[in-house]
Amino acid sequence: MPVAYTTFPAYSRAKPKPSAKPAALEEKPVAEALIISEADIRSGLADNLVRLWRYGLVLSHRRDIADDLVQQTCLRALERVEQFEAGTRLDRWLFSILHSIWLNEIRSRRVRLGQGFVDADEALVIDGAHATETHVMANQVLRLVNALPDAQRAAVFLAYVEGLSYKEVASVLDIPIGTVMSRLAAARAKIAANVSGEGAT
Amino acid sequence: MNDKHLILSDEELTAYIDGELSDAEVSRIEAILHSNERVAARLEFLSRSGLPFRQAFEPLLAAAPKTELDAMLGVAPRDAKPAAARAGRRGFLGAIAACLVAGVVGDRAFIGIRNRMHAPDESSEWRTVVAEYIALYTVDTLAGPSPSDDAKAAQLARLDDKLGLSLSPQTVSLPGIEFKRAQLLQYDDKPLAQIAYLDPETGPLALCIVRSDVGTKEPDVEGRHGMNVVYWSNPTHAFMLIGRIPIDRMQELAEDVRKRTSA
Repeated sequence: MPVAYTTFPAYSRAKPKPSAKPAALEEKPVAEALIISEADIRSGLADNLVRLWRYGLVLSHRRDIADDLVQQTCLRALERVEQFEAGTRLDRWLFSILHSIWLNEIRSRRVRLGQGFVDADEALVIDGAHATETHVMANQVLRLVNALPDAQRAAVFLAYVEGLSYKEVASVLDIPIGTVMSRLAAARAKIAANVSGEGAT
Repeated sequence: MNDKHLILSDEELTAYIDGELSDAEVSRIEAILHSNERVAARLEFLSRSGLPFRQAFEPLLAAAPKTELDAMLGVAPRDAKPAAARAGRRGFLGAIAACLVAGVVGDRAFIGIRNRMHAPDESSEWRTVVAEYIALYTVDTLAGPSPSDDAKAAQLARLDDKLGLSLSPQTVSLPGIEFKRAQLLQYDDKPLAQIAYLDPETGPLALCIVRSDVGTKEPDVEGRHGMNVVYWSNPTHAFMLIGRIPIDRMQELAEDVRKRTSA
């Protein structure tokens, strides 16, 4: 049975090249990042608000909670400027703050269904009324991701949408790298099975 | 496809796909792939999960309330000292309240916070939360056939059990409006009964019930998230009917339900 194992159709990671190195600093040279002021954090926050909101939506499935999460992440980041490690990626730090607020403060309260919040399909799809073909495709992908258990969904989002390395995902979620690997592997198996089930290989 | 008997685990194959392995590990895995069809087939299977994730989630960035988020950051106190965390927080919320008064920011998240800050009144807070929740409902949320009378009764029995109610399909029926489902939600770890309906003209509406000891209150009306709310309470429970039907009609519907549920 010939198997074309070297090609991964539609595989979307930006850097398919094998690499065990931590992600390089893309924007700020280390030397310039040594002294981080509140103004730096504030400007970093401004650049990342929309991405933080999207992560909040992926976690909570609720727009209002995503709003809340961003707001509290801003507050927490500005309160803890001194805890930011110079030379590391600010967006990763902000993701980890948001995730911990979600996990420790928001997730456990307010209205919820037994297994989580609203049905995933309610909040996390793109305007169905004006569905173009691209949107239909995008919504299918969103549904596949939404159908994953919470822990796998967060890992998939951070690794495959935000492009974080395993090490960075582990740091944001505050779990061992091995756990990241097993969540992503389980998520891939599940998505692959669903895709195959739909005959949409 | 069972990976238990494979030489390589799904984790290793996933890390290979994701480019997370060292050169040595990559060589090892590629050697196995060349010689073992089952491993190669498993890799092919796992790689079907390679979807355009980044592109699919891109539109959600545009869905973010950017103006409100910017405003949120813009009003954060510029002089907040790390040591004065609590004061900074209060200052921030105060700034938000000021924005609300000035009409600069009207986001519902802020309103929710304001209510939490200034209206510890439990009897109105649950309606805020329910309204936020119902505001997310679309016709699609409630798509699909309506349950049979037996199924309705079974769904309602679960609510009765948790909330000490005695509902029947008849007591909660609304004329001309389809009963779609009754489900149990949680509000601050307390049970919340939600009966969802679909009005052919105005879309979703819901009757929600929580236990309450605030005492009997006559029906009153309010607007939340662009929806009309009629709310009342009896000695044991608080009720709210929420939807986009015009307020006069909502009051009639609520009055009907109120009579039947108190009988």
